[in-house]
Amino acid sequence: MAYIQGRRDFLKIATSSATATIFLPGSLGALGEVALKSEDKFIRSICEMCSSRCPMEARVVNGKTVLLQGNAFSKEMGTSLCAKGVAGSSQLYDTQRLVTPLIRVGKRGENKWAEASWEEALSLVSTKLSALKERYGAKSVLFSSKTGEHYDLLRSFASAFGSPNIFSHWSSCPIAIESAFHHTFGEKLHRDFENATYILNFGHNLFEGLDIPLTKAMAQFSANVSKKLVVFDPRFSIMASKANEWYPMKAGSDLAFVLSLLHVWIRDGKYDKKFIENYTIGFDKLADSVKEKTPQWQQSLTGIDAKVVERIADEVYQAAPRCIIDWGHKATTTKAEYQRSRAILMANILMGNVEKEGGIYFAKSAERVNALAKEIVVPELNNPYPRPHVNEPRIDGAGEVGKYRFVSKQHGALTAIPDAILSQKPYPIKGWFLTRHNPLVTLANPQKIKEAMDELEFIVVNDIYLSDTAMMADVILPESTYLERDEGISKSAFKSPFYTMRNCIVEPLHQNKSAIEMMRDLAQRMGFGTHYAWKNISELRAYQAKGNVELLQTLLMRGVASFDVPPLLALHAPSVERFCERYPKSRSWVDAQGLFSHFLEHLKTPSGKIEIYCEEVEHAFSGYGVTGAVDMDVTQGYPYVLTSGKSAVHTNGHTQNVPYLHMLLSDNPIWMHPSTAKAHGLKMGDTFYLQNAIAKERATVFITEGIRPDTLFAYMGFGHDAPSLKRTHGKGMNPSKLLSLESATLCGAMITNVGVNIIKA
Amino acid sequence: MEKQYRLLYDENLCIGCQACSVACRVENSVPDDCYRVQVHMQTIGIFPHLGMNYERLSCVMCENPPCVSVCPTHASFQSKDGLVHIDERACITCKYCILACPYHARFVNPIKNVVEKCTFCYETRVSKELNPACVSICPTEALSFGDMHQSNAFVAQKSQKEVLLFPKAHLRTKPKVAFIPNRKGMKS
Repeated sequence: MAYIQGRRDFLKIATSSATATIFLPGSLGALGEVALKSEDKFIRSICEMCSSRCPMEARVVNGKTVLLQGNAFSKEMGTSLCAKGVAGSSQLYDTQRLVTPLIRVGKRGENKWAEASWEEALSLVSTKLSALKERYGAKSVLFSSKTGEHYDLLRSFASAFGSPNIFSHWSSCPIAIESAFHHTFGEKLHRDFENATYILNFGHNLFEGLDIPLTKAMAQFSANVSKKLVVFDPRFSIMASKANEWYPMKAGSDLAFVLSLLHVWIRDGKYDKKFIENYTIGFDKLADSVKEKTPQWQQSLTGIDAKVVERIADEVYQAAPRCIIDWGHKATTTKAEYQRSRAILMANILMGNVEKEGGIYFAKSAERVNALAKEIVVPELNNPYPRPHVNEPRIDGAGEVGKYRFVSKQHGALTAIPDAILSQKPYPIKGWFLTRHNPLVTLANPQKIKEAMDELEFIVVNDIYLSDTAMMADVILPESTYLERDEGISKSAFKSPFYTMRNCIVEPLHQNKSAIEMMRDLAQRMGFGTHYAWKNISELRAYQAKGNVELLQTLLMRGVASFDVPPLLALHAPSVERFCERYPKSRSWVDAQGLFSHFLEHLKTPSGKIEIYCEEVEHAFSGYGVTGAVDMDVTQGYPYVLTSGKSAVHTNGHTQNVPYLHMLLSDNPIWMHPSTAKAHGLKMGDTFYLQNAIAKERATVFITEGIRPDTLFAYMGFGHDAPSLKRTHGKGMNPSKLLSLESATLCGAMITNVGVNIIKA
Repeated sequence: MEKQYRLLYDENLCIGCQACSVACRVENSVPDDCYRVQVHMQTIGIFPHLGMNYERLSCVMCENPPCVSVCPTHASFQSKDGLVHIDERACITCKYCILACPYHARFVNPIKNVVEKCTFCYETRVSKELNPACVSICPTEALSFGDMHQSNAFVAQKSQKEVLLFPKAHLRTKPKVAFIPNRKGMKS
């Protein structure tokens, strides 16, 4: 495997060339020995080594060693945590971490800095942002953030500042599936892996992109001999190795396979007709769309035999409704990503698995449970991050007009940013505020983003490392790590609702501030402090909890608060009965079959039903109102497709320099089939170039049987250009550099499969 | 023997994520670039007929430990519970045990200049009725640990149900670590 391979081959070079005694200005190492103030005790909080936000528990021993494990107060977690999560302490004490604000002194991107006090840094940020607002209008400043509370905070700040241009990480990640869900169900649903018996997995890589509760459920599923897992992936992933059947389908052809599944089910009348009739609209349009999409038709597109489609269609139907056609977190296979995601949702709908055991279900949020129970059984929260309406057009037209009209204006299309800056259309952009967001590693065509950043007057970056993006900043605000800060309450809901809260585990090592503290301070300086109902994090929490001391105490002590609400699936009679027994007033919702069927008749879609066909979408994007075969090419005429994905020990860009994780995987040689390597005269570890119209990037080769001969694969997040990330700097290649800024139709998703040539070095 | 510990490693549940390795590093302050436990993965077969081997590499706590018998200073010893430990004070770093160990589980700690290996986290965890760090952290519950004398223990019950493989059993070292072999994909 590449981890171990990578470690053996590259680690020695890494350690012998490290210049551990020279510390960067503003880094933790420059402070010398750090004494910690904390007691040997357990504190429960939320992890932040990736975006899964798993509940975790920390034990601080001798005031220094921080031992992290899962928070067993969350039943689905137990004490489990992944390698990244456990390595949190390695990040905390990393001498290359930033602990002092930095102000640019050289040219932009030159990496020359002066250390600054918080007063100096925040005062400069507020003066500059206010000046931009005065001169060009608030809309001239972009705001972008990773997801989670940082995003809620920044979005609120941006709207108080007056800019409509808020961007989340979504359009470089899950936006296609989010859009597909929004148009089909009005919101995103969850998967009941625990109770399913048959799962079709289209690259949902839960064994390398970990989310502990989901990963654990999937592992239990795949190890269970009475269940069946079928994996479709051009690469022999860990998921594939755990499958009953693995099909190395051509990259980006998921859509063709799923369309032919739909074809077979409709052709044979093997679908849940009652469910379709009761809860959906537009079935006939789907039947028309897939009429010609036979198993034979998909054969040449996917490389999978027609007989396999027929057999799998029948097996899934036999298992229904205890079956899941899994959409994955981010696939961004082709321009047709939206249609692929919609097709997968259609497959679930035809199997009638919605709100049934072993199928897919709506999140049972506090508000939803209270409404069904007709009493307040779960305390509801105030929103500490208000969003006044900003009456200005966005630079990408997201949610408004043009090709991004169906992209949420709360999330935007990141790939539209460079062009908007460089063309100054629809209006000039002068500033960019990024918090924990590293587009120069995680977004397509960072070369062009950098060019656009060069045009800006002011860039401020909040990060804990001097990342590639931070290097382009005028001011870097170093946030305290997640182990050193308190945050507000996070809402979560699966079959029942629960809350989690990030609690500070050790005092900040060097007066670092949390993003909440920074933004609140900036708002005060810039004259909109009254925007917030709170002045500090304690007040924020109290406001959010509506003064519910008991709830706050639970969250402080346990890190998670659940409310003993019986798990609810609206079309599963026993669970409805348990819910009604507990909350008798809810009985008035129950229909003659003992179900909460009204629930599925009042969805947040235009029709209130599940929309197989979306009138509004069809109107704006002809041929997209119902799923169908469009835009499936991924090669753009090149002989190979470069695909990318996660490893279990790294995120898409943040963790490569964390000591313990760097030790496990320090490079990302490109996976290549032996026949392909032979054709190009490449041997294991050889250097070569990946080339297309966008870039020519140097890479090394990892030869493995575990990939299609026409496909290449790279772990994401390597190829950092920032010299301050000393361990990872210059190691591996960044696949983003070969990606186009052209996004997937309708949903605005960055496309991460791309055509390339192999060129011998 | 007062206890009969067993650590079960289920290859079917293991996803090779290395959480065990990092948890071990933090719990036991394992020096950089040294490992008391690792999981190695290897793709086997010819495309598209493939399988993946998952192999947990660590001390297997032999009942007949070759490392103990070769130790000239009795630094390597077996406790009353049958666990193999190293007395750092007595270790003269002669490395006989490293050569004798058929599982390649031992290494020289470059900071302390003594030999070390997995202890099942005896001192910090098992002696306090806690699971070893690797078992506790495992994201997929591929590891289970307990006393086989307690018939109601999960580890005892799982051992009953499954086919167990003792690594290098032919050497008659009688490991306390048992594997549940992979049921999926091509086999080596």
